[in-house]
Amino acid sequence: MIFLGITAAISLLYVYMTWIFAPPDVVLGENVRIFFQHVAPALVSYGLFGGTLLCGVMYLWKGDLKYDILGAVTIKLGLLFTTITLLSGMIWADAAWGTPWNWDPRETTTLILWVAYACILAYRASVSDREARAQFGSIFGIVAFPMVILSYLSIRIWETLHPIVIEPSGLQMEVEHMMTLLVAMIAVTMIALIMVELSYKVDSANEKLMRIRMERS
Amino acid sequence: MTSGLSAALAIAKKDILTQFRKRFEVFSMFLFALIAVLAFSFAVVTGGAVPQEIGSALLWVIIFFTGMFGFAPIFLSESETGTLRGLATAPIPAWSVYLGKVIYGFFLMALVEIFLVPIIMVLFGFSLLNDAPLALATLLVGTLDLAAVGSMASALTMPSESKATVFPLVYFPTATSALMLLIEITKIIVLGPGLVPVLLIFEILLAHLIAMLTLSASVFHFALSP
Repeated sequence: MIFLGITAAISLLYVYMTWIFAPPDVVLGENVRIFFQHVAPALVSYGLFGGTLLCGVMYLWKGDLKYDILGAVTIKLGLLFTTITLLSGMIWADAAWGTPWNWDPRETTTLILWVAYACILAYRASVSDREARAQFGSIFGIVAFPMVILSYLSIRIWETLHPIVIEPSGLQMEVEHMMTLLVAMIAVTMIALIMVELSYKVDSANEKLMRIRMERS
Repeated sequence: MTSGLSAALAIAKKDILTQFRKRFEVFSMFLFALIAVLAFSFAVVTGGAVPQEIGSALLWVIIFFTGMFGFAPIFLSESETGTLRGLATAPIPAWSVYLGKVIYGFFLMALVEIFLVPIIMVLFGFSLLNDAPLALATLLVGTLDLAAVGSMASALTMPSESKATVFPLVYFPTATSALMLLIEITKIIVLGPGLVPVLLIFEILLAHLIAMLTLSASVFHFALSP
């Protein structure tokens, strides 16, 4: 409950800082506000897909079904946050470069990432044996992870229109924008954590229900 | 380690010998690749020629799709004939079974590529000879990478109900990263150096291959256990 309250407070602060506190950018103008709705979900989705990898390793190691349920939840929510990243990116691209889709390496690799993790969900649905789904789904979650790394590195490998904000020397932006991004990151991460917990509870309950049904039939 | 490697080679040898008895699989893969060349030609030929960067990119797209034919049956055939249990219970490490299949997949694809690559080069009008050593290294590493991914994808397809539909779903997410890098390297070989240093991309491709091989080999015993 306390966590929920803190998340609500930080989320309100996030809205305030994004729309009122952050000054217009010298180059991007008011469009800079989309930036915060874009970067934070993007980084959170990478984190969630990292969670899929971690849950896969934990399931194979411990054999506890809870890791598999959690792994599936991270895929679903990772897809949700990637969708938000793609959509906000398209709005930003439309404002900055004139068209919503430019086949920029970052856009392309993010779309591939979305398709890749959607494939894992489709694959999981095609395996009816519960243990096999958990075992093979975990393996798939592990071997699909290099795509996340490639998506992150894409703007450094290929010529890109996408700005490189996170440099080894630090964040290349104004202090106010940096502060807003930090709050955005914290708020979106906390929202994602709440969603992970809720989805995990729902899926665990579903799992139990399925088991009871199977035992009765 | 040495016994695991010799077991892997023995498994690859067994599959290659079986393949030579059947023959039709390699030939079908080659024919599929030619059909793909023709199908793509309808879309990309303008004024009797194909732009070099598109032709060279299509080389890997065609190899990628041909791989679907070659790699899908790698484990499925073992599963269908009931010999998978034998492989799973054999006193050899699980990674050697995986490695053996990767070697076999690589051999199968390389056999097709020996004929396919020169034909595509002639038909699409580009040359990989601008940097022959790098082109050869890219073909070797790329094919090995696709075989590593394809073998794992084939193993993952085993418990699924709709195996034929699911294989591309497993192959695509894991192979696309390699495909992107391979297309980029080949484009640079054909068109000349660009802004991105080609060796950097080759190193990333190599890192991808090593990552896929080690990740897959280290979790493979879970795919073999019931």
